[in-house]
Amino acid sequence: MSEPVVIIGSGVNELVCAHRLARAGRRVLVIAAREPRDGSLLEPGWIPPAIVRDFSLDRHGLTIHRPDPWATVALPGGGALELSSDMERSVTAIRRLSPRDAERWPAFCERMARLARLLEAVYAAAPPDPLGRAPRDVLQLAAIALRARRLGRQGVEDLLRLLPISAADLLDDWFETDALKGALGAAGILHLARGPRSGGTAFNLLHHHVGSPPGVFRPPRSNVRHVLAGLPGIELRRGAEVARIGVRDGRATSVVLASGEEIAAAHVASGADPLRTLTVLADPKWLDPDLARALRHVRSRGVVARVSLMLERPAGPRALVVAPSLDDLEHAYDDAKYGRVSQHPYLEAVSAADGAAGSGRVDVHVQCAPYALAQGAWDDGRRLELGNLTVKMLSRHFPDFEAAVVTRVLSPRELEVEYGWPEGQACHAELALDQALWMRPVPALARYRTPIRGLYLCGAGMHPGAGVAGAAGAHAAQEILRDGDRT
Amino acid sequence: MPASYDAIVIGGGHNGLVCAAYLARAGKRVVVLERRDEVGGAAVSEEVFPGFTFSTYSYVVSLLRPEIIRDLDLPRHGLHILPLESTLTPLANGDYLAQWSDHDQNHRELARHSARDAEALEEFGRLMHQMARAVKPLLGMVPPDPASLAPRDLLGLMRVARHVRGLGPGAFHALCKLMTMSAADYLDEWFETDALKATKSASGIIGTLLGPRSPGTAYVLLHHYMGEIDGVFRAWGFAKGGNGSVSAAIAGAARALGAEIRTGAPVARVLVGNGRATGVALESGEEIAAQCVVSGVDPRRTFIELVGAEHLPSEFVEAIRRFKFRGSSGKVNLALGALPDFTCLPGAGPHLRGAISISPSVDYLERAYDEAKYGECSRRPYLDIVIPSMIDPAMAPPGRHVMSIFVQYAPYAVNGGWTEARRAAFGDAVIDTLAEYAPNIRSAILHRQVITPADIERTLGLSEGNIFQGELTLQQMFFLRPAPAWAKYQTPIHALWQCGAGTHPGGGVMGASGRNAALTMLGSAR
Repeated sequence: MSEPVVIIGSGVNELVCAHRLARAGRRVLVIAAREPRDGSLLEPGWIPPAIVRDFSLDRHGLTIHRPDPWATVALPGGGALELSSDMERSVTAIRRLSPRDAERWPAFCERMARLARLLEAVYAAAPPDPLGRAPRDVLQLAAIALRARRLGRQGVEDLLRLLPISAADLLDDWFETDALKGALGAAGILHLARGPRSGGTAFNLLHHHVGSPPGVFRPPRSNVRHVLAGLPGIELRRGAEVARIGVRDGRATSVVLASGEEIAAAHVASGADPLRTLTVLADPKWLDPDLARALRHVRSRGVVARVSLMLERPAGPRALVVAPSLDDLEHAYDDAKYGRVSQHPYLEAVSAADGAAGSGRVDVHVQCAPYALAQGAWDDGRRLELGNLTVKMLSRHFPDFEAAVVTRVLSPRELEVEYGWPEGQACHAELALDQALWMRPVPALARYRTPIRGLYLCGAGMHPGAGVAGAAGAHAAQEILRDGDRT
Repeated sequence: MPASYDAIVIGGGHNGLVCAAYLARAGKRVVVLERRDEVGGAAVSEEVFPGFTFSTYSYVVSLLRPEIIRDLDLPRHGLHILPLESTLTPLANGDYLAQWSDHDQNHRELARHSARDAEALEEFGRLMHQMARAVKPLLGMVPPDPASLAPRDLLGLMRVARHVRGLGPGAFHALCKLMTMSAADYLDEWFETDALKATKSASGIIGTLLGPRSPGTAYVLLHHYMGEIDGVFRAWGFAKGGNGSVSAAIAGAARALGAEIRTGAPVARVLVGNGRATGVALESGEEIAAQCVVSGVDPRRTFIELVGAEHLPSEFVEAIRRFKFRGSSGKVNLALGALPDFTCLPGAGPHLRGAISISPSVDYLERAYDEAKYGECSRRPYLDIVIPSMIDPAMAPPGRHVMSIFVQYAPYAVNGGWTEARRAAFGDAVIDTLAEYAPNIRSAILHRQVITPADIERTLGLSEGNIFQGELTLQQMFFLRPAPAWAKYQTPIHALWQCGAGTHPGGGVMGASGRNAALTMLGSAR
């Protein structure tokens, strides 16, 4: 075959998609538009074992970072609650705040882990199609149903109840300690324009638990992108920007770069978000009005800013959480809801591990800082203010931050430009229930195919979405191979 | 003690009465025990002030199942529904948005705000009708138990699955969205007129401590279309004589079928022996024996208070304890010497014969919710206002009127608790809000009655004042209402059943819970 499959983008999903296709004997060209300026940044997300295995990632230098304790939660009265992967240590730490919560912690972790294992199985394939009549669909549905029922009565009941509820309702049922509920509730709203009292946030909490051991409610970080980019078998074109996707007779036939160069393509897989892929890169005339409308309504509201700090002395791997209570998280969301940057945001500060070892660099997740501001705009002043607020809040709990220097503040605006995230939303399409599974990002596109033959979607906006490194790319590759040269 | 009854129904609310009527119709000896001096529960008409009759609590009718009206021949027992033909939403800028039952008039009015929305409304209405039709069969269904392996439950689940798959992709995905989205997000996909979205999404927040932007609120939009498709009467209406006449008609039908109804007979507890309900003990000390007991009161009252946790499995008690009530609404009833004069539409026009909705924008409602979620009453609440005396003049003396104002949010768990001062402040906030749109209201008020969730709990026995006997949210619906494995009107106690709105399909003067319970009992009795 002379024409390559062209992959737009070089994130983990795109690279997994590329390597899967290359393994199947396709010639693959990856257009790596932009390299994030700070390459040392590690990729958050669980890497499904199948992907690690297929590409022998551990033999190629994959390192996974799991700070332990996975959360050092600032307590309002000073001190911190340390949540570890070791159940006993967590129980001991929680007991100092509430014996009742400590007693409940193992059962909570065990029940959440059981649901997470089910979700892992669901995430290991393209989304199920509840309406599908093909044997493959029916089998997949039956397998999921069977697996769900194997959870037993309590498991089924937990699942049905957990899916729609808010993280606050879930956590209030179990615990009384504000700091504990705050730290867990934060995972429920991670990257979501929602507060912990919004329905669907318990599901988001579960989503971010997937792949982690019982009792760990944050995804790991790894250098998987770096490792994948270094693997042989694919051609990588760096620094080239895709301007549009060439379509002839309803079929994607080429990719046109910003330089004007046109590259003929057997298939095109885009890691850009669905809306951009189908209305900016491809000519929107190929969409029927219903799909165009549905796409326009995909919610991708960025609410996270990233603040990079430099400490005087490196403090080792830590994950510091400032999320005093569910009410605090809810207030932060109230601000975002009306287009204000929260003055009491949820912070999670992660030390840069290895890559920049010994550098003292800390990356801080700041939520809520909305993309669209009701008043004013994201300018240098705003960014500086947010950086200073971050240092102030952290140093209130962790003295070594008093001398921290703000090196960089990326508002959702910059994240959009730098990473290509729509509205700065890392998940491309917010991971809400109506944008999950067979509805991700919209039902008509859930199987990675588009109305344009030969054009596929393989980015974070697709099932199972951000937080599961490479899975969307792997599933997209599977569908491309399934279609073969029929398209 | 010999059992003189086949069944005792605890609580003479509309569901209890419906259940009793169906049991009596099947030849069972039934007695209904009502704590208050009149039947009806939250569906009562009371002469709160001399000459002024109010539907004190629930105030409109839409969802009452047509098969119940038919089976029990309710019109013959005095049920007469008067249509409520419009909804007026006054806007902050002095304009208004009206929704009329006349199709062309409604289209013209909406087109005045947005031609695009007027077009979209047609398609929206079509889809919602289709959805309501799709969901309707599920309302009359006894929910299967998803965790059970019994053939009956598996068959039930397969029936639900087949029904849902049979909807086709368009309706199926729309249903998925309605079940998972917030009313505001869902409506954003259709409309641009803020007041239209706000007024429509208001139906999604009623009775629930959620805002229009909270996922899970879209589903209730469907309920508004559910009434219409039945074709018995238009979407919403008044019962002539107030909502007490709905209860009176059902009670009349029940009596005619042979059921006995005792008022002023508060039940103190359910008698349980050997894991089986044998009767009840009244607060007076009297004990009544029966083959079975059906509770029409809410799950918390039924199981924690009347039965007692000691008779129940601990995981069931845990499930009932975490069943969410969180009453979030109150009522203000006004006796008026004059009609309100709305700045946006002066005079006594036809708009006063319909509902008036204070829901000028989605943000307005969301802000009202923001206050409630931290335990405060909304300073500017959502109001749903009707003036029944415009349509049914017998409700008030000549030339005077009764106004019913449903108010949200008034959280049950208000900071500092409900005191006299709190209640007064709550009433004042309602009047202040209304006066912004109808300034003459203050001088028109002859009397006012303010009802808080605490009052609803105390007077009607509804836990936390929740008008649906438990929030109608996704996690408390269908096979999860009130508790997984116990959504089929049965309970862990043999011969004890439940028939209130705390069971599937829930509240809203629908009567379906009472009917489903009775039919289930009769089925298993066979």
